[in-house]
Amino acid sequence: MAPSENDIAIVGFAQLPPERRTNLTESDLVLRSTREVIAQVGIDKSEIGFTVSGSCDYLSGQGFSFVQNTDAYGMVPAINESHVEMDGAWAMYEAYVRLLQGDIDIAMAVGVGKNSNSDPSTLFTVEFDPYYLTPLGTDTWTLAALQARALIDSGKATERDFAEVVVRNRANAKSNPFAQVKGDYSVDELLAADYVRNPLRRHDLPPTTDQAAAVILARGKRAYDLCERPAWITGIDHRIEAHLPTVRKDITTSVSTRLAAEAAGAGKGPIDVAEIHAPFSFQELILRESLGLDGSTEVNPSGGALAAHSVMTVGLIRVGEAANQIIKNGKNRALAHTTSGPCLQQNLVCVLEGDQ
Amino acid sequence: MADTVQEFVFNLTFPFSRTLGSTLSTFSSALAQGQIIGVRTGGRVIAPPLEYDPDTAADSGTDWVCVGPKGTVSSWTWVPEPTNLHPLDHAFGFAFITLDGADTPMIHVVDAGSESAMSAGMRVEARFKDPADCVGRIDDIIAFVPASDPSPSEGAGEPFEAPAENEITEMDAFCDLQYVDNASPTTLMWAKALMEGRLIGQKCPQCARTIVGPRGMCSVCAIELDESHIVEVPGRGVVSNFTVVTPTPYPGQTETEPFARCSILLDGADAVIAQQEILEVPVSELRVGIHVEVVWAPENERSAADIDNRSRGSGGDIIVGWRTTGEPDEPADRYLDRMM
Repeated sequence: MAPSENDIAIVGFAQLPPERRTNLTESDLVLRSTREVIAQVGIDKSEIGFTVSGSCDYLSGQGFSFVQNTDAYGMVPAINESHVEMDGAWAMYEAYVRLLQGDIDIAMAVGVGKNSNSDPSTLFTVEFDPYYLTPLGTDTWTLAALQARALIDSGKATERDFAEVVVRNRANAKSNPFAQVKGDYSVDELLAADYVRNPLRRHDLPPTTDQAAAVILARGKRAYDLCERPAWITGIDHRIEAHLPTVRKDITTSVSTRLAAEAAGAGKGPIDVAEIHAPFSFQELILRESLGLDGSTEVNPSGGALAAHSVMTVGLIRVGEAANQIIKNGKNRALAHTTSGPCLQQNLVCVLEGDQ
Repeated sequence: MADTVQEFVFNLTFPFSRTLGSTLSTFSSALAQGQIIGVRTGGRVIAPPLEYDPDTAADSGTDWVCVGPKGTVSSWTWVPEPTNLHPLDHAFGFAFITLDGADTPMIHVVDAGSESAMSAGMRVEARFKDPADCVGRIDDIIAFVPASDPSPSEGAGEPFEAPAENEITEMDAFCDLQYVDNASPTTLMWAKALMEGRLIGQKCPQCARTIVGPRGMCSVCAIELDESHIVEVPGRGVVSNFTVVTPTPYPGQTETEPFARCSILLDGADAVIAQQEILEVPVSELRVGIHVEVVWAPENERSAADIDNRSRGSGGDIIVGWRTTGEPDEPADRYLDRMM
């Protein structure tokens, strides 16, 4: 394929091993992940025209923590830099849009989350509606459980189906060197556990992970200098639904995912592999349906978000894993999905293709 | 000497006042009187009300509707072990509750006694706080409880006449989160040196800059630095920059008079030690170029409790401050255009 100037590809991806508890700082994690991806594509950092990170002050418990993290870029002389208070997948989206301006050829996007400093059952109360939800201590597990119960009551799935998602992802994760939770489990053994939030058990919840990841994107012909088989971004889209899950017409489906997939052109051809970000097991069932995936697509060969879930990094890892399916595994067409907000409120879909 | 600290507990607590805007002011003022309301917009009654129609983004208007106090559970979950942020201290449910007269559910607490009492379709009713304690916040409703009488709520669906002016236009909120950070290897090196009365930096093998205190990286070259790059730096240097802070009162602020925070370029270092206090020099007499030397806390009074990953070269309580040495000032323009 002779790429046009507006074709943009992922040419490198590095992730650090996920840890339940690291003793490094976010800045340390950013340094190690960006050093690795820069070395992988074989450039000097001065060749990067734009650097953007995704992280969250509330996770680190420190105002302007992302400013400290920029130490890891080596900003002398000054660099062109940005930050999103979102997962690194959205940083990647910004890098993609920045490259479309046409004046630079290489961009780097980073996601970092040291999640172990806080308690997920309390931290995310500040993410939700401050008038109607936060004063009640409404937590992220509770909102997911309310969606899961609705899914069961709709007749679309059972708790056994949830456990099957977990069994499959943990088994897939065994071959992923970057998985934190993996192994052989049986559905019956998982279903014997107590509820954390009925109908969700511990295994239905995302693990707590400290991790960072980085990707390098390149524009047009420059991509071939850095990567033998670039993963071209042929479609990317981000859709958002109402922040209060109760005003959505049907929370057992994800309208925003369906619209994002359509806009990203997911249905224009067969998808070999999909990396889906389902923080909670049952959400994979909703997402498969809303993405329009059939049995011909391999879903989450990495073990997905249930294998490691560093908030602010997990979405970028979906993008990187999908890209590696093209860069390293010779697949033709891959889909990456990531989500944010309560009950799959926001969804980003990215379609990646290799040269045929 | 106390050991350096491995973990730091950090409580992020602050009060916050939110202005409510016209829609939420109407809701809150009614709630404080024991009346729950919704708004009719786009052909449905949304309760609690939103300022906009979620389907069209149109202003949802002022077609207020009385809803509840009874309603029907459509989805539910159970919290077996409440956190400090939950409103009840015993196991309870959360539920989607469609109040009588409303078309959309609200999320609230159900104090049902046991998990087995919860089900879709169960009828519940709001249990309010004592009227004197109601402030118009969503937790004026302590919880919903199983309805003693499942019949429809009286007056639900009828129009609500909002007063010309709402009594409640603001809401007090309080953030209370706890973090437990662990000391990074770099932080531990810095804390240990301070406890021993030593100042250290890391010298980058690539650009030869010495950064004080250590960051575990060269922030110019973007490479990792470790224990092998540690160098001792003297407790003497020159004020390279300063700012005078006029304290404004806020929760937790203990300063009342203007105070200065200074950057000091230590002899032989290439990056300043920041946020330092110069002792016994009035704020009005501070200037760039003064020679200073470090003043350590007495050895038996040193504590590394404040030397965490955020301190980034700060001396905590181990460095009392810096005093002038009396040497003639360096020319101030020598310190212009420094970026660190």
